[in-house]
Amino acid sequence: MEIIEKIKTNKSTDNLTEIQKICLDKLQSSPLPNPKSEQWRLSNKSKFSNFLNYSVNEKNPKFDIPFPNTSRSSIRLVIGDDCQINLIEENYSIKQLSEDKLVKYLKEQISYFDQNENWSDLLNLSLNCTKNTLGLKITGSEIPPIEIFSHASSNSLNAKTLVIFLEKNCDIDLLQINLGKDNSSLSQSTFFCLEENSSVNHGIVSYGENKSNLLKSLNVIQQKNSEYNLGSLHFKFNYARFEIRIKQSEGNAKTNIKGMQITKKDEQISTYTKIDFNGPNGFLDQINKSLADDKSHAIFEGSIIVPKIAQKTDASQLSRNLLLSNLAQIDTKPQLEIIADDVKCKHGATISQLNEEELFYMRTRGITLTEASKLQLSSYFQEIISFIPVSKDRWDLLDKLLNEK
Amino acid sequence: MVNENLVKDVVKEPYKYGFVTDIETEKIEKGLNEDIIRLISQKKEEPKFLLDFRLKAFKKWQKMKEPDWAGLGYKKIDYQDIIYYSAPKQKQKISSLDEVDPKLLETFDKLGIPLTEQKKLTNVAVDAVFDSVSIATTFREELAEHGVTFCSISEAVKNHADLIEKYLGTVVPASDNYFAALNSAVFSDGSFVYIPKGVTCPMDLSSYFRINSGDSGQFERTLIIAEESSSVSYLEGCTAPMFDTNTLHAAVVELIALDDASIKYSTVQNWYAGDEEGIGGIFNFVTKRGKCLGKRSKISWSQVETGSAITWKYPSCLLLGEESVGEFYSVALTNNLQQADTGTKMIHIGPKTKSTIVSKGISAGNSKNSYRGLVKMGTKASGSRNYSQCDSMLIGDQASANTFPYIKSQQPNSEIEHEASTCRISEDQLFYLQSRGIEFEEAVSMMVSGFCRDVFNQLPMEFAAEADKLLALKLEGSVG
Repeated sequence: MEIIEKIKTNKSTDNLTEIQKICLDKLQSSPLPNPKSEQWRLSNKSKFSNFLNYSVNEKNPKFDIPFPNTSRSSIRLVIGDDCQINLIEENYSIKQLSEDKLVKYLKEQISYFDQNENWSDLLNLSLNCTKNTLGLKITGSEIPPIEIFSHASSNSLNAKTLVIFLEKNCDIDLLQINLGKDNSSLSQSTFFCLEENSSVNHGIVSYGENKSNLLKSLNVIQQKNSEYNLGSLHFKFNYARFEIRIKQSEGNAKTNIKGMQITKKDEQISTYTKIDFNGPNGFLDQINKSLADDKSHAIFEGSIIVPKIAQKTDASQLSRNLLLSNLAQIDTKPQLEIIADDVKCKHGATISQLNEEELFYMRTRGITLTEASKLQLSSYFQEIISFIPVSKDRWDLLDKLLNEK
Repeated sequence: MVNENLVKDVVKEPYKYGFVTDIETEKIEKGLNEDIIRLISQKKEEPKFLLDFRLKAFKKWQKMKEPDWAGLGYKKIDYQDIIYYSAPKQKQKISSLDEVDPKLLETFDKLGIPLTEQKKLTNVAVDAVFDSVSIATTFREELAEHGVTFCSISEAVKNHADLIEKYLGTVVPASDNYFAALNSAVFSDGSFVYIPKGVTCPMDLSSYFRINSGDSGQFERTLIIAEESSSVSYLEGCTAPMFDTNTLHAAVVELIALDDASIKYSTVQNWYAGDEEGIGGIFNFVTKRGKCLGKRSKISWSQVETGSAITWKYPSCLLLGEESVGEFYSVALTNNLQQADTGTKMIHIGPKTKSTIVSKGISAGNSKNSYRGLVKMGTKASGSRNYSQCDSMLIGDQASANTFPYIKSQQPNSEIEHEASTCRISEDQLFYLQSRGIEFEEAVSMMVSGFCRDVFNQLPMEFAAEADKLLALKLEGSVG
């Protein structure tokens, strides 16, 4: 209940937007997610309550982007920065979604929400004001890469929402960056709608600092013949939860996901994915990697749902995990729910530590143990990092990961 | 092109063990309360510790909630509408098989269970359980010569009370889960096996469970103890008549393996599964668990699950002893409106423990077949390994196949591998076989048999043949 009170005391009820009111109403019946449900069972309770402990902040203080300046060829947007974008070029256009459209779309989405599964979205939308919502409609081709930042300010809870409509035959590279500051909580929900024949290379990099928390959800709807590629990387958060929900609304679409989470100290980072095939000939290739060190806890739970209509689906899911310390733990749960009979579905999961034989081989060649471990880790990381668009050439993510203390 | 209807015809095969034996039985009144439990205990002339065990379990059960996490949709069970004790009336003491009611012998004869003398050549000792009581155990003298105790659990309570008191409920505590608590409160009979130190059991032991009465539940309890360096192979078979009501079966099996001991537990479960509309059938809620207490001990579960309207069963291994080994081989076949939620739990506690899981699910008709398993590496399980493989085969586009593996590791120096895949009977393969003159039905049978081969290879001889036949019956009429 506290969280609802918090939102209400922050604003007089009259100032709440329509969406906020709907979401608050929904939250009223069950203000917190059910801790016994599969989606929330493993979530660290004290860390989660810590997430909610900060006061809600709608203001956006200036912040220094710890990443290189934008190059001329890319577009950089910061959610909540009063950014007005209205680009109309010869080949493409990027326009702000009108408020009516945005509200209509979000209302429709909320009507499909499951109280428990979409709790993060409900929280995000009930916290959020119009200012911290960015809605974009993108059309055309040869669009320069786009970078979108969401950030939290110190000692507060921030909520940022992103809605993107990708029109037919459109093709973009998009990098989303979530930044957590000291003692902060960031709630970030993204809604993506891919129309026919569109294609996205979507990268998500979430980078926290001391005691920062993140609740990130991603809802993607793919129409037929669309292609959605996601490369994601989450690290340095005290508590982070990443939820991916992808729906191939008519099948005949392609989805590639490569994600990674790295936990150290006593951090807990979890990834939950749900891929819903709602038509025939769907394709999915998913790999999720975790690395857990010190006393940390990494969680992956992925479900693939193939109903009767989704014949000829080809889906594979792999969860690879490295456990590097005696006190760390890893939970992984890949799941398949299949009704259609003419499908190819498989999943796999492994948990182990660095390969000893490979380490030994490198050491016999004069490479020190530290160097050899680094080499192994870099190949482990590289597969995911090379899949993250825009950043890979300019930002030395690999170095960041390898030299992170 | 596969003829869809042909596959459906093939899948439809009547249940052969659905007859009812007309025999006078002694039943107690329906319902469950403390008095009923006292009555069961009194009928079985049990010592006080067992009555206390039952009453404690009952108290715990009353506070528990029926689990719903498996998402099995079934009609709510009215626990007060069940008879908790039913036994065929016969002379009190049986000294030889000749004194067993011929009708009972005939029943087991029909089921192909070797109770009578001439069938003893098969060299399998059998404990036959009819509704709530064990009616006969064969080969007892021969086993006794080797020091092996094989008897019904009620006899064991009288003759080996110390072992029962020491081990009962140590692997599956009364409060373990809802159905285990219910079983602990009302269990009627079951088998007890004790293999002394250094003995390799000279023959396979077998229990045969038969539910005959439509309104009574079956709650049997099996306890197997293998002392140091001993080994035993145990087989279990189950059938029930066809009734249009659901019958509850809630069993508990506990296995204990000490240093260097090995236990192989095989099940062919063919309870009545209900008709095509899902009317009737057995609700099978079973808790099976083995404890590898000793160093280098080994417990191996193999099962063929073809019957029951609902199967809820996770034979598990607690790997405590250093270098102990757990194995699970399973074939689950569901058809019509059957639901099977089965799998295993491999809990690695001790160092250098190893486990292997091979699960094959075949779903046809409108059925639901799920694999649900847990592999856990505890903090002390250094040098441990697990390998799991779950394959599903779908026949028709109405059946569902699910895989829910839970994997948890707290030990970096351990390895877990899991893989799962889904397939169907490939048209190319069928076409190839048919073009070589093999009948459609036989081709289907060959492919199913090939799909399950990894598991069938693990079954004891007697069962492998039976299992193959059973799947053939369920899937392809007379061909087999």
